[in-house]
Amino acid sequence: MSKTVRLIIRHVVLAFLAIFWLIPILWLVLCSFGIDKGPNISSFFPKAYTLQHYVDLLTADSSSVSQFPQWFMNTFIIAVFTCIISSIFVLMVAYAMSCMRFKMRKPLMNAAIIMNLFPGFLSMIAVYFIMKNIGLTDNKVGMIIVYSAGSGLGYLIAKGFFDTISKSLREAAYLEGANEFTVFYKIIVPLSKPIIVYTVINSFLAPWMDFVFASIMLSSNANKTVAMGLFAMVDKVNRNNYFAQFCAGGVLVSIPISVLFFIMQKFYVEGITGGSVKG
Amino acid sequence: MKKFLAMVLALTLALTMVGSCALAEDVTLKVWVGDNADIEWINGVIDAYKAAHPDNNYTIDVNIVSEGDCKSTVLADPEAAADVFTFADDQFNDLYAAGALQQVMIDADEIVAANGGADATVVLAASKDGELYAYPATASNGYFMFYNKEYFTEEDVQSLDKMMEIAAAAGKKVGFPVSNGWYLYSFFQGAGLEMHINEDGITNSCNWNATDTAITGVQVAEAILAICANPGFTNADSDPFVTGVKDGSIIAGVSGTWNANVAAEAWGENYAACKLPTYTVAGQQVQMGSFAGFKLVGVNPFSENVGEAMMFAEFMTNYENQMGRFEIRAEGPSNVEAASSEIVKSAPAIAALAAQAAYADVQRVADNYWANAETLGKILVNGNADGTDLQTLLDNAVTGITAAPIQ
Repeated sequence: MSKTVRLIIRHVVLAFLAIFWLIPILWLVLCSFGIDKGPNISSFFPKAYTLQHYVDLLTADSSSVSQFPQWFMNTFIIAVFTCIISSIFVLMVAYAMSCMRFKMRKPLMNAAIIMNLFPGFLSMIAVYFIMKNIGLTDNKVGMIIVYSAGSGLGYLIAKGFFDTISKSLREAAYLEGANEFTVFYKIIVPLSKPIIVYTVINSFLAPWMDFVFASIMLSSNANKTVAMGLFAMVDKVNRNNYFAQFCAGGVLVSIPISVLFFIMQKFYVEGITGGSVKG
Repeated sequence: MKKFLAMVLALTLALTMVGSCALAEDVTLKVWVGDNADIEWINGVIDAYKAAHPDNNYTIDVNIVSEGDCKSTVLADPEAAADVFTFADDQFNDLYAAGALQQVMIDADEIVAANGGADATVVLAASKDGELYAYPATASNGYFMFYNKEYFTEEDVQSLDKMMEIAAAAGKKVGFPVSNGWYLYSFFQGAGLEMHINEDGITNSCNWNATDTAITGVQVAEAILAICANPGFTNADSDPFVTGVKDGSIIAGVSGTWNANVAAEAWGENYAACKLPTYTVAGQQVQMGSFAGFKLVGVNPFSENVGEAMMFAEFMTNYENQMGRFEIRAEGPSNVEAASSEIVKSAPAIAALAAQAAYADVQRVADNYWANAETLGKILVNGNADGTDLQTLLDNAVTGITAAPIQ
């Protein structure tokens, strides 16, 4: 009896939390399909449904506030390159910290973890002026550098995973004459698919969802990212005409993330728990 | 001394420009406008400008930076900001204080005259200590009353009491954003009370709690409480206003040109607009005041071509281009000649703003005003549910509004 009651209470609480968590997302999706162009606050469900906002969003002419295809491409280019570069950085740093022994290993590891604790945007102004002096503000290459340069600091989880790979495998390779890169590339990487998936997803998400750095570094329309563009669509002047398109944009933005996640999903759970067996 | 300096500078500039006109030069300018929809207009302006100055080779890049947010983008790095940028007039003080506005040194007197003389609100909004620092571009950023002619005659909309009476009888509402400081100002300013920024540029002075004025602060607060309790009234900021207009529950309300399309679509032929009405305070009818809102064009003092930038800014805001902007973007001109043309006068929203202009003040407000005014507005909207003594309530609000900002 008491077991059933506890079960019911548990599920009621969970259902309650789920409603709070899901309603904003549901509302966003409903708004994107609703007939109203502006925010509809008179009823939760739209009075009629249409796909028009998606059409408008994807086929906007140059006089529209919304230049979604352009923003989407910009963000996608930045995110893909950042993803590749920072994944490589993270895995290499993790390999060095896990498999190699050198004098400054411990101090470097500690310093990296402490630096990674500070939010990145604390250095925003400094980063901006450094990039300005090099001439890389308002530039996709500049954004890729900003996003990927410090990413090696987030090596900790990958290192934990590499630690679990038996040392004797590497020693066998060294005996055969392999150097560190061969060991990394031929031994460690094939054994670490789960953690690579985790790293790739994380490296893709950071630039994909960033607003703060993008809004400081990028200024011209040709380089705007989705986050900046969507933000401009809901200011006082535009919201009556663009709010539904803003919602549609929000839905579309989630597609690449979902696709990436579904492709890599089967490795994912193994990835984040793999390193915890042996620290 | 300042005048003299300005003249010397203007002369040097004029001379350099004469010099530069003689041999064809490459001139690069960066221009910021507020919206993608402005692109068509600004491209026309640029073509006309190039045609008017055939001697030089111009490269003019256009970019979009929201007018409401221009200050933060410019001040983030003035050197990287555009040579010519458009901003809403409430940012004037901060831009000026940061040295991000170039004083107008070419044709300043002509520009002042074209916009209604040194005492015109828009000129005051673009000036500091009597010197012009920005080019008036539009005069349609303020607020006014929208109404549905099906319910109200032109007589009716003169008085808020009459409007609320009609709305209540029809089971509808008149909307006004009492809980928004920008609009709440109307009641107090209309009653002769004052709130504006001090000389120091960071604190406000405010006498909304005055007891020795013709109409006291408490009387205004009582009037607002009575209005909020009226069955024909609703506190409606932009989103509730738009929703109410669309579903027919709001038949009149105070908002700005950004909601004009919504009202025009919903009410069709019955769409009309007028100045703010009078309201009853201490037994008398008082005209509501308001904040005027303008878009200004600023020239960046860090520009490599300050002279050209000034000439372009002046060109961009002249009579023809303000008319062009009105035709393409429905933005009310600040230029007096343009504003008095028949075609502009026939746009209801612009005409309403022009009528309200006589009662509107330049928005020069330090940051501490907004949150405190909003709190006061919310308490009044809720009918002062705690039953706080009104004088205490206003004293608290004034203390907050006039407080020095936390550094």
